[in-house]
Amino acid sequence: MMPLANTIPGLVFGLPLILLASFVFAATHHESPERIRDATIHWVVWLVGILGIVLAIVAVLGWLV
Amino acid sequence: MFLTGRVRVASVDGGVNPPGEIALKDSRAKADPAVAGCRVVAISPDGGPPIDLKNPWLAAILSWLLPGLGQIYQGRSFKGGLFMGTILGTFLAGLFMGGGKVVYASWRPGEVRWPYVCQAAAGLVAMPAVIQSMGLQGSSREPPLGTFMAPPLGPGQFVSVRYADQLAATDPDIAPDDFFDKPPLRQFKGDELSLWHRRLGRWFEIGTLYTMLAGMLNILVVYDALSGPLGMPTDEDRRKGANGK
Repeated sequence: MMPLANTIPGLVFGLPLILLASFVFAATHHESPERIRDATIHWVVWLVGILGIVLAIVAVLGWLV
Repeated sequence: MFLTGRVRVASVDGGVNPPGEIALKDSRAKADPAVAGCRVVAISPDGGPPIDLKNPWLAAILSWLLPGLGQIYQGRSFKGGLFMGTILGTFLAGLFMGGGKVVYASWRPGEVRWPYVCQAAAGLVAMPAVIQSMGLQGSSREPPLGTFMAPPLGPGQFVSVRYADQLAATDPDIAPDDFFDKPPLRQFKGDELSLWHRRLGRWFEIGTLYTMLAGMLNILVVYDALSGPLGMPTDEDRRKGANGK
């Protein structure tokens, strides 16, 4: 299935999910489009940051072991 | 308290009832039976007018059936449309990535499909899986909708002759001789789930993850339809609302 997509790192498929989760979380906490947009960006930054740190720790541990 | 933003007032009018005043009416409403049965509104967390939740339970059910439909029923079409597009889009993308095999319901001992619990929260779009599972376990031994969202056949599982022929014709991994002939049924020799995993590889897991997350996030959407936005107005929002800005 989708030979080209088979070469894409699996990590990439997590990015739309981060965007979706951030958007739904923002949209269920706000009502105005501007606030939803700002909150979505806020949550994307936080989620990518936290997950990036976790990934970095796992990568370092994998490199050490 | 997560229901703080949900209040009952006699009318829904953003100009007359800024958020601060509505919050006051909420505390009175608890003690005053005269306002019982009034329309249910939620405070906008962004200093906007109160949100008319209409019939919140109906809205919640609508949002479960079709993500965002409850919000559209409440007149919040922008949010409803976005929820519908994003959640349904993610669910269908996951279904596509998983080759149409990742959404199925199975309660057979040893092969319970727990991810379906999350997928079912996406509503109607996941419901064919229940019909298919019941059909396969029923007396006909045949899913009524063909192979779409049908659970995988386990080793030794009996199916109708027609479904066995349909599987052999449509599934590239299944041949007619993969079944024992046991009139009036046929018995599967292999393990269809293993065949799916071998063919789809990581796409099975990615598709499952997408469809599960779509369902889980729809729970938040249902709650938004039931009780309004989860966020609380800040002091600044309250001031803006009270000043009509």
